[in-house]
Amino acid sequence: MATTTLDDPRPGAVRSHSPLRAIFGSWEFGLIVFMVALYLIGVWANPRFFGSADALLSILRDASRFGVIAVGMTFVIVNKDLDLSVGSTVALTSSVFSLMFAPQFNDMGPWVSMLIALGVGLGIGLTNGILVTYLRVPAFIATLTMLFMGRGLVLGLTKGRNIAYTEKAEQHLLFTIGDTNALGFSNQILVMVVIALIGGVILAKTRWGYETYATGGNATAANYAGINTHFVRIRGFLFSSFCAFLAGMMVVGQSKGVTSQDGFGAELIVIASVIVGGASILGGRGRVIGSVLGAILVVLIDKVLREGIPTTRIVKIGGEDIVVQAMAQMPPGAVPAFLGMILIAAVLIEPWVVRRRLIARIVARLRGLPPPLVNADGVAIATTGTHGSSLAASEVHATGLRKLLTYREVAAVSFMILLWLAGFILRPDFWAGLDNTFNLLLAFTEIGLMAVGMAYVIGNGDIDLSVGAILALSGATAAFMMKKMGADPATAAVTAFALGTFAGMINGFLATKARLPAFVATLGMFYMARGFAAWFVAGRQLSQFPESYNLIGRKVIETLRFYGIEPTPGTFWFNLFNAISAQTLVLFVLAIVFGVILWRTPFGYMVKATGGNRRAADYAGINTDRVRFLSLTFSGMCASLAGLVNIAFFRSFTPQAGVLRELDVIASVIIGGGSIFGGYGSVVGALAGAAVITLVRALLSLQVITSDGRSFVMPQNWVNVWIGSILILAVLSDIWLRQEKLLLRLRMRLRGKQTESAS
Amino acid sequence: MTNQTPIIEMRGINKSFGAIRALQAVDFHLMPGEILGLVGDNSAGKSTLMKVLSGAYQRDTGDIRVAGEDVHFKSPHESRDRGIEMIYQDFALCGNIDVASNMFLGRWPRKGIFIDRKKMEDDADRVLKRLKVDVNSVRQRVESLSGGRQQSVAIARAISFDPKVIILDEPTANLSVMATNRLLETMAELKAQGVAQIIISHRLQDIFEVGDRVTVLKRGRIVGERYIKDTTEDEVLGLIVQGDRLEATAEA
Ligand SMILES: Nc1ncnc2c1ncn2[C@@H]1O[C@H](COP(=O)(O)OP(=O)(O)O)[C@@H](O)[C@H]1O
Ligand SMILES: [Mg+2]
Repeated sequence: MATTTLDDPRPGAVRSHSPLRAIFGSWEFGLIVFMVALYLIGVWANPRFFGSADALLSILRDASRFGVIAVGMTFVIVNKDLDLSVGSTVALTSSVFSLMFAPQFNDMGPWVSMLIALGVGLGIGLTNGILVTYLRVPAFIATLTMLFMGRGLVLGLTKGRNIAYTEKAEQHLLFTIGDTNALGFSNQILVMVVIALIGGVILAKTRWGYETYATGGNATAANYAGINTHFVRIRGFLFSSFCAFLAGMMVVGQSKGVTSQDGFGAELIVIASVIVGGASILGGRGRVIGSVLGAILVVLIDKVLREGIPTTRIVKIGGEDIVVQAMAQMPPGAVPAFLGMILIAAVLIEPWVVRRRLIARIVARLRGLPPPLVNADGVAIATTGTHGSSLAASEVHATGLRKLLTYREVAAVSFMILLWLAGFILRPDFWAGLDNTFNLLLAFTEIGLMAVGMAYVIGNGDIDLSVGAILALSGATAAFMMKKMGADPATAAVTAFALGTFAGMINGFLATKARLPAFVATLGMFYMARGFAAWFVAGRQLSQFPESYNLIGRKVIETLRFYGIEPTPGTFWFNLFNAISAQTLVLFVLAIVFGVILWRTPFGYMVKATGGNRRAADYAGINTDRVRFLSLTFSGMCASLAGLVNIAFFRSFTPQAGVLRELDVIASVIIGGGSIFGGYGSVVGALAGAAVITLVRALLSLQVITSDGRSFVMPQNWVNVWIGSILILAVLSDIWLRQEKLLLRLRMRLRGKQTESAS
Repeated sequence: MTNQTPIIEMRGINKSFGAIRALQAVDFHLMPGEILGLVGDNSAGKSTLMKVLSGAYQRDTGDIRVAGEDVHFKSPHESRDRGIEMIYQDFALCGNIDVASNMFLGRWPRKGIFIDRKKMEDDADRVLKRLKVDVNSVRQRVESLSGGRQQSVAIARAISFDPKVIILDEPTANLSVMATNRLLETMAELKAQGVAQIIISHRLQDIFEVGDRVTVLKRGRIVGERYIKDTTEDEVLGLIVQGDRLEATAEA
C-alpha cells in the first residue's frame, strides 16, 4: 500500500508506520497548521484585536458551545445520519430552563429547572431517533422538521420575548459554567475539553464507538453481525441532543437569560465543523478531536472575516475629531451566506480531496512519480432501492370507486374537500365568501408554483430544501433592481428570474457533477440564498415598485385596465377577469404544461425511472444526471417565479418572504402522492397537496366564533409546530400506509389470511 | 460439439484490484445456443469475469472475441450493441414503474412528444407471451410482482434487445422454489429460441437441470470444466472445494 498523505480519521484504518508520520500526516495536524496560519494572518491584518490573548480566549469561548455540540454530532454523522435540530434544541432547552427558573415565571430551583430542560432535550433526541430508525423517516426530513417545530415551540412558549434573571442567577453555582474562572478563561472552554475527552474516548476506544463505525460503514453488515443498529443510531441522536442541551446551559450560564434567537444557525456551523474535521457526510468516518478542531476553525474563520479589516471611524466629540476603532460591520445576511458556502466547501473536501487523494497526487506530480491509486467510485449515496409488496396486484383489476382509491392523489383530494368543509362549518358567514376564496387562491398560488417544481425533484428521489430561500433571493433581487438601481420592471424581473434559475443550477451541479446528496447541496443553498437576499436589501423592507410591475400580483382585470382594454362591467368576460388574478393564471399554465410532461412524456418517465432505481435507469441509457440537473434547475425557476409574484402581490419585499415555505412545499408533494424516497408523484397531486396545506394554514388562523358569541384564534406562534407535525405525519403515512400497506396488512391479519410473501 | 466458432471466447484474462488478483490467466468460451453454468466459491471472481466480458470492468491483459472478432468494450452499452446482455441483480428494474415501461426503459416508443402507451403495452405483451411469462397485466407495477416474475420481466427486457448472449448473475439467489422453477422454464424456452446463456449460481441442481456445461472458478483461476451429461453434482462440488489441489496433483 502506498502511504497516504492524508490519514484516514478512523481507528483501524491503514496508517503510515512511523509514529511521527502518523502525527504529522494526520488530518487534524493539517487543521492545526491551517488555524495557526489563519491566526497569524489575523494578527497581521488587525494586530489590535488578534494581538491580545483575550482574543484567543474569546475565540475559544465562542467555539466551545459549537465544539460541545460537534462532539455529539460526530456520533450522528459517523452513523450516517444528520441532526439539523441541534440549534433549535439549544434554544428550546435554554428557554424551558429559563421559564422554569426565572422568578417572573415559575421560580424553581436551578437543578430542578435543569433536569426539566434535560428531559426536553432528551425527548427531542429520542423522537428524532425513533423517527429515523423504527419509522424510517429520512434523517434530514425528521430533524429539519424538528428544527422548525422547536423554533415554533420557543416562540410559542416565550411569546418571542427575552427572559433575563441576572440577580437570581448570581446566587447559584450552576451559572459559573458560563463565567470566566480565576485563571482568566471561560469555564465553557473547560466544559468543551471535558466533553471532547469523554466523547473522544467513547468513540475511539469503546464498544459503543466501534458499533457506531460499523453502523455507519455498512448498516446491513453490522446488523448481520448482531449489532442493533437502530439502538446505535438512537443513541447517537440522544447524545447529540444531550450535547445541545449542555450548550443551552452554557448559553444560559453566560448570558443569565435567553433570547429566542439563541442557537440560530448552530446546526450549520456544527455540521460544517464536523465535516471540516474529517468526517464523511456518507458515514463511517470521523473523529471527535477533528470535529472539535473543526469547530474552532470555523469560528476562527468567522472572526477573521469580521475583525480582519480594522476600520476607523471619525467621531466628533465636542467639536474635536476623535478617531475610534470600529468593528467592520458585516452586512446582514452575509454570515449565513458565508456559512452556507463553508458547509458546501467542507462537504466537497471529503469526496474530492480525501478520497481522490488530491494532495498525494499533486505531490506525486511534483516529484515526477506515478500518481497514487484512486478508488473514485462510490462517492454518491446510492438511492434507496425499491422494494416489493405483492399486494398492489389487486390495484390493476379494481374497478369503479375502488379503482379511484388506487390513485395516490386520492388522499390529498379528500383532505382538501374535508378541510374546506370544516372551514365552512366553523365560519359559514365568511369562509365561502369571495374575499376569503380570493385570499385562499392567492396563498395557494405561492405554494402551488413551487410544488410543481418540487414534484419533479422529489420524483427523482432528490429534495430541494432551498425553495423558500430562492423565493426570497428572487424577490429581493427584483426589489433591489427596481428600487436601488432604477431598473425597469421587465429588466428587474428577468434578472431576478435568471438569478433564481442560476441558484437552481448550482443545486443541480452540486448534486450531480459534484455528487453531493441533494439535501446537503440545497441546505447550503438555503442559507446562501437567504443570506444574499437579506444582504441585497440590507435587512430592510423595500416597497413602492412601479405599478406596472405589481400587476403580476393583481387581478387580470387590472392589467386590462392598465392597458385600457377593459371589457364593459357586467359582461361575462369582465366577471371572469375580475375573479382570477394574473398569478393564478401563471400557475394554471405552468401546472398544465409541466403536469402533462411529468405524466406522459419521455422526460416524465425518465424522472420516475431515476427516482425508482437510479442505477437501473443509468444502465438503460438514461442520463440520470441530466434529468436531476434539469429538475433541480426547474425547481429553482418555479421558486423564483413565486418570488416575483410574492413581491408584486404584497407590493413590497420583506426579508421574511418565503420563510418556512420549504416545509409547506415538501409536505404538499408528499401529501399529494409523492414519496420521499423518489419514484412517485404528480403535478395534480402536488397541487391538491398545496391546497391542503393552504387550507390548514387558513384554518389555523381562522377566527372561530363559539356559540356563546365569543371569538377565538389560535396563537400564531404555534403555527410552525402544527405545520411541522403535518409534514412528519405525511411522510409517515406515505411510508407506512402507502408503501408498507399497513392497513391492508392489518385487515388481512384480522381476517386470518396469510399475506403473500414479498420475495 | 461440432467445431463451430464460439460466440464468446476469452483468452488469458488477467484482472487485479490493487493487490487482489481477481482473475488470473482465465480462458473461457461459450458456444452459440449453449447454457453454461459458472460456479465457484464466494469471491472466486465469477462476477468480475462477467463484468470484464460486458465491459463494466476493463481487463488488464487478455483477448476477448465475440463470434471470432476481437472486441474492446468500454462500457456495458457497447457489449449490448454486440448482442450481449447482462442482467444485474440489483439494477435491472424500477419497482415503481409498470411492467411495460420497464421493458422499454429509456427507449419508450413515442407518438409526437408523448409516450405511445398502446404500442408499448402491445409490444411488451408480445415479448412476455413469447417467453411464456404470465404477468396479470403489463400495467402492473413491477414491485407488485413476486421475485420470480420480476426476474422474468428482467429477462424479457433483455430479450427485447434481441441478444445472442444473456448473462444471469445469481438470478435465483432470493427466489422461492416455485419462482426458481419458473425462471428455469424461461431459460429453457430461450435456449429453444437459440439464445446462449451464462448462469452464475450457487445452486448446482439448477445448473444441472438446464445447463449443458459447467465451468469452475477458484481464486481467480479456472480449475475445471465438465459437460453436464458426463458429470455429477458431487464431482463439480469437489472441484469447487478442492479445485486447486486436484489441479496441482494433475500437473505433478
Ligand atoms: N470493484 C472492485 N474493487 C476491488 N475489489 C473488487 C472489486 N470487484 C471485485 N473485487 C474483488 O475481486 C474478487 C472477486 O470478486 P467477485 O468477482 O465479485 O467474486 P464472485 O462473484 O465470484 O463472488 C473479490 O476478492 C473481490 O473483493
Ligand atoms: Mg458475485
